[in-house]
Amino acid sequence: MTVNRLIFRNIKKNFKHYYVYIFALVFSVALYFSFMTLQFDPALDDTTGGVKGAAAIKTGSVLLIFIVSVFLVYANNLFIKRRSKEIGLFQLIGMTKGTVFHILSVENLVLYVGSLIVGIFLGFSMSRLLMMILFKVTGIQDVATLRFSSEAFVQTLVVFAAIYILILLMNAVFIRRQSILSLFRVATVTQQRLKKMTALQAILGVFGIGLILFGYYLSSQLFSGMFLGNQFFVVMIAILASVIIGTYLFYKGSVSFIFNIIRKRKNGYLNVNDVLSLSSIMFRMKSNSLLLMIITTLSALSIALLSLSYISYYSVEKMVEKNIPADFSILTEHGAEFVQALEKEGIANSYETIDLLNFQVDLSEVLSMSAEEGNSLFSFADTTMLVISDQVVEQLDVAETEVYLANQSDFLNNLMHIQEQGMIVFTGEEYVYKLAYKGMEDLTVLPARATGAFPVAIVDQSIYQQMLADKDVELSTEFSQYTGVTITNREDIERADTIFHALDIDIWAGNESKYEEKMIQKQGIGVIMFIVGFLGLAFLITSGCILYFKQMDESEDEKANYTILRKLGYTQTDLLKGVQHKQLFNFGIPLVVGLCHSYFAVKSGWFLFGTEMLTPMLIVMAIYTALYSIFGMLSVLNYKRVIKEAL
Amino acid sequence: MVILQATKIYKTYGNKLNKTEVLSALDLEVNKGEFVSIMGASGSGKTTLLNVLSSIDRVSQGTISIEGQNINAMKEKQMAEFRKRHLGFIFQDYNLLDTLTVKENILLPLSVQKVAKKRANEMFHAVSEDLGIADIADKYPNEISGGQKQRTSAARAFIHDPSIIFADEPTGALDSKAASDLLNKLSDLNTKRNASIVMVTHDPLAASFSERVVFIKDGQIYTQLYKGEQTRTEFFNDIIKTQGVLGGVQHDS
Repeated sequence: MTVNRLIFRNIKKNFKHYYVYIFALVFSVALYFSFMTLQFDPALDDTTGGVKGAAAIKTGSVLLIFIVSVFLVYANNLFIKRRSKEIGLFQLIGMTKGTVFHILSVENLVLYVGSLIVGIFLGFSMSRLLMMILFKVTGIQDVATLRFSSEAFVQTLVVFAAIYILILLMNAVFIRRQSILSLFRVATVTQQRLKKMTALQAILGVFGIGLILFGYYLSSQLFSGMFLGNQFFVVMIAILASVIIGTYLFYKGSVSFIFNIIRKRKNGYLNVNDVLSLSSIMFRMKSNSLLLMIITTLSALSIALLSLSYISYYSVEKMVEKNIPADFSILTEHGAEFVQALEKEGIANSYETIDLLNFQVDLSEVLSMSAEEGNSLFSFADTTMLVISDQVVEQLDVAETEVYLANQSDFLNNLMHIQEQGMIVFTGEEYVYKLAYKGMEDLTVLPARATGAFPVAIVDQSIYQQMLADKDVELSTEFSQYTGVTITNREDIERADTIFHALDIDIWAGNESKYEEKMIQKQGIGVIMFIVGFLGLAFLITSGCILYFKQMDESEDEKANYTILRKLGYTQTDLLKGVQHKQLFNFGIPLVVGLCHSYFAVKSGWFLFGTEMLTPMLIVMAIYTALYSIFGMLSVLNYKRVIKEAL
Repeated sequence: MVILQATKIYKTYGNKLNKTEVLSALDLEVNKGEFVSIMGASGSGKTTLLNVLSSIDRVSQGTISIEGQNINAMKEKQMAEFRKRHLGFIFQDYNLLDTLTVKENILLPLSVQKVAKKRANEMFHAVSEDLGIADIADKYPNEISGGQKQRTSAARAFIHDPSIIFADEPTGALDSKAASDLLNKLSDLNTKRNASIVMVTHDPLAASFSERVVFIKDGQIYTQLYKGEQTRTEFFNDIIKTQGVLGGVQHDS
């Protein structure tokens, strides 16, 4: 039999056995190709044109290559481990290491080419579906048409050729390193030497949990105003480092440490759940700590990113509503012109015009940052703010000695401390106005464009008149007048928007249309959410697969144990219960740790992205958990089969 | 009193066209408290016999009853229930769980029967004293010697006082000193606890520790030797002789 026939036969016979590897390959190719097809699709230009979508997609594709490589290298390791006996046998009958390598390479090549063809076909069909989803979330009215992109095809070929070479190298190293004897033993000696818990390990275990908690604590303080400027970056790095190292030590020591305590208390008397879950996980988690750390960190990352982008998407309406109070906000003198044009077209509307008065103010009694002394750039004692009369705010009647603040934002709420009461001191050209602060009104009176996302003061009309006469001329702002136009009938919005553009009012800085702004925001965030969602899903599936493959491997290793246990009189149901327990830990621990990490990550900075944290985050987490548990269930099914075959 | 009775058991492998008969019309009885060895050449059906006797495998024909219960008629669940109460196992390669300590391994049969923890501890102390493994109770299997492993495995077989213990080549992987040490312990426990032992072996020395040796050839009982009042050495010589006849090359024309 020639080497070539041997290769051919091997593939034919092993096909069933290595479906895991083939699945991994096809899946990765499909994933990558569909992503590339989207990237090169001209239809996507509409959606990405507005924002830095192209850059986001580029970053996404690099991340995707990384994930796919890790996944394939892991699958290949499993594949070669299963075949180690065969490789040893080939060498035993006199083949050189070179010939064995040749056999493996050609086999791999055939698998790769086959998987590429199938994967590209699948990926092509998948990308059409993805495109429809993309249009849906960005709100673009377009029909998803697809063309076969040759750029995407070439790109996919190049990437997978590179991964193929990487895997060849790894195989070459593996074959070179191993002696025939060790090859025969790879399959049998899977348990690493078990040792007793040492004091060092216990310390590491406690230290790991400590590091994670410390990271959480830091993250909760990140935006509290404790750290500023350069410190900020250092603290971010510190959080990342302590959480990631903590996670690693957690798997390395803490899990075994905790389980060991539980086990000690049982005093040698273990039931079937303990036998199958406790003792096995204790040792296996330790040896897989690096892999588990990567999986956990990346799931935390993807959950956090998914949550944040969903938070943004979820709060687009609210954000725009906050930033632009009226349908059209005009800060230049074109207000009247626009209203006239609307009247001519017969579009019913109401409008208000507010003169913008910028005033010197001392807010130090009412507003503060928690670490003000560290911040020399900004002081609440000497700043300026916009002042308006209570006449333009219907809901409010302000007394002569009082002042209200409005236009609060979540962003500032998280950075500043607002006192219940105090005095606000305005300083004019001649007079000083000392007014009692009455509270922060949950109102948006002026667009963020005019206020710079800073609160606005509301005073009594008479005080306002005085202040107007007394104003510091040098303090005049970029804008002096604001006209907010509200369209009475919702259906007229689009027409009004067209007029807004036709009159060229939109070319002036500061003039905004709420309708247009919402569209732009939704498109931008939609694309980002789509990319993050795609990557998140890709990562979810790959990490789920890695855990599943690991369990498959473990189940083969532990088959002998099931034989013993069944001989001792445990029934299949007993064992299955124990295995379910084990899966709960195996899939549950990385998931729970990942969810915890992402919760703290989201919590520390969510207000930069939107107005609502809990609902969107919980939705993302629930979906993630649900998809993730599918792999746990698949794994239990696999164990069921192994247990059945064990006796 | 007969504790195990096998009547006319057959075991065949393969399909109709290509059938191999491993056991054919074999009868065997084991009395309460008896120590029986089964010997025979490779491929004579020793291990298959042990497997069907111990309910791990099913016979193709015939009946096997242990303590009056027909194990062929049992369902998988009943069988497991039966195994955990009435049977004990010792294997050539120990079959200890690597992830459990010696004590945890030994206590497994009790935990599956849900024996109270305190009672379990007492039973563990008794059996570990008898087998001399009390001081390695907290070690993992890979930290102890082969002899110690096999004694652990024996302790696991004896701890729940089963009616019958099946041992498959228990000395196969041990050096001669560890082997005779283990066999002494086994026959001690055999008398002390009055548990029947059925041991498969191809080592005449190991067999000489038992009270009766059953020789198997081509799936049938070839002959049986009883120790009776003989010394162990005399019995050993008898076994050697019979083995020579059994395994010797036959010069038929």
